Amino acid sequence: MKLVYGLLFASMAATADVSVIVHPSNASTIDASTIEKIYTGKVKAFPDGSKVTPIRLAEGNPISEEFNSKALNKSSSQLKAYWSKLIFTGKGTPPDEVNSDAEMLKLVAANPDHIGFVSSSAVTGDVKVVHSF
Amino acid sequence: MKKTLLSLGVAVALGASFNAAADLRINGFASVYAGQTTNSNQTMYGYDEDTTFANESKFAVQVSADLSEGLTSTAQIIARGSEDYNAEFEWAYVTYQIDDASQVSVGKMRIPFYKYSDFLDVGYAYRWVRPPQSVYGLSFSTYEGASYLRSDTLGDWDSTLQVVYGNLSEDIKAYTDADPAEMKSIVGVNWTMAKDWFSARAAYLVADVTIDEVNSAPLSQLFAGLTSYGLVSEVEKLRTNDDSGYFLGVGFSIDYNDILVDAEYTELEVDNSVLAPQSQYFVSLGYRIGSVTVHTTFEANEDKHEMNRFNSVPLTVNHPQLGTIPVSVDPTNPNAPTLRALTNGALQSVKVDTSTWSIGMRYDFHPSAAFKFDYSSMDDNITDQRTGLITAGVDVVF
Repeated sequence: MKLVYGLLFASMAATADVSVIVHPSNASTIDASTIEKIYTGKVKAFPDGSKVTPIRLAEGNPISEEFNSKALNKSSSQLKAYWSKLIFTGKGTPPDEVNSDAEMLKLVAANPDHIGFVSSSAVTGDVKVVHSF
Repeated sequence: MKKTLLSLGVAVALGASFNAAADLRINGFASVYAGQTTNSNQTMYGYDEDTTFANESKFAVQVSADLSEGLTSTAQIIARGSEDYNAEFEWAYVTYQIDDASQVSVGKMRIPFYKYSDFLDVGYAYRWVRPPQSVYGLSFSTYEGASYLRSDTLGDWDSTLQVVYGNLSEDIKAYTDADPAEMKSIVGVNWTMAKDWFSARAAYLVADVTIDEVNSAPLSQLFAGLTSYGLVSEVEKLRTNDDSGYFLGVGFSIDYNDILVDAEYTELEVDNSVLAPQSQYFVSLGYRIGSVTVHTTFEANEDKHEMNRFNSVPLTVNHPQLGTIPVSVDPTNPNAPTLRALTNGALQSVKVDTSTWSIGMRYDFHPSAAFKFDYSSMDDNITDQRTGLITAGVDVVF
């Protein structure tokens, strides 16, 4: 039985490779449901009430796909259909995109109102990890 | 999906007077569809027995300028194949973000009748080639006015409330394919409650409706005939002239573990009009298998006048000189059609009773494009005629 748990844990650890990051000064507790609401435009502020600016990795990036499926529970096509409904009706705009982990880390480290996600292996001490998927 | 341009040059080229810092967002979508009916001499949704491409194909570009301080200006231009790809402003509005939860927009926008009204043209946003036409059948879709939108979290539920006010003035499909129409004081409210995989929506709109019968020779002649007999009140029961109308819509959607369910019921009525009270509904099931979605839909509509609307025109009137005379198109001819029969005929002619089955599939073959195929079979329960339609095509967003 121990072996089974061990394997289970190992497999979970192996796939937990998207880290959601904020500025080190950000003291908000941010759970998976809040992340989903921020990245689908349903919530426009951190739990402490301050404005949030979500940033995502560009479409096609494997980490981006992983984030879509784990954090938002949507394929990239479903996510695109979701945003089409908001964009073409003036009800919302999708998060801005950056092309690399390095760019994301730089932006989030410099802006207290930003939230982003990167490959867990890329995380540095300049940002704070609030959740991993 | 998004292109942000920080260029004064582009802003000027587009003929707009944004300041240099205006953040422009350009998005677009397009659909290219080919379709044909399965039997000769049949038409359905604008298609006939010959394969045609233009009918439901369209190209659209939307430019949105973030003017900062919560102000956004948006214009959406659509070129429809059914209108020879003449580009028209479908939406043009300015939005002010009041706070994180609410925004107000003014300009030309979509009337929010149905759940899919707002993105009716954006084929990529739904699974069908077209939303079920029994329900999504109104030929007019935009108004000029204001819209207030408010989003709240109520416990575990996301609530979205929209209130609209405005007017509409355009040619609509009513008595003929193009009748000059006006809707004044459109007031509408719709509310959507969503939680995880479930959402429900209700909409109610009222308006003062006027539809000119000038393009319909039979109606114009009937009204003239009734008027010549002094039967003005009978004309008023038929003429759509500043009459109050209402629209009611309710529906729900489920997206649970790749199982999709959608249903909507709508009804529409204009008081004192030859147009019949309408009711329509659809129920649709879908199932997602990876990048493929298969679906089937049943829809029905019924437009029908109550029995008490018939036989209200008198068969005879008392003329001061001639005494009792028949109310007909030719009082000197005893066999001439009576105006009662013609009025009954007009009330009967607007009757509609159809039911439609569809099956279809959507394949997301590219990050920004979907291929779709639908087959629909419509039963006209009045003529007992069945019409089949095959449509296939591609939707893209960019």
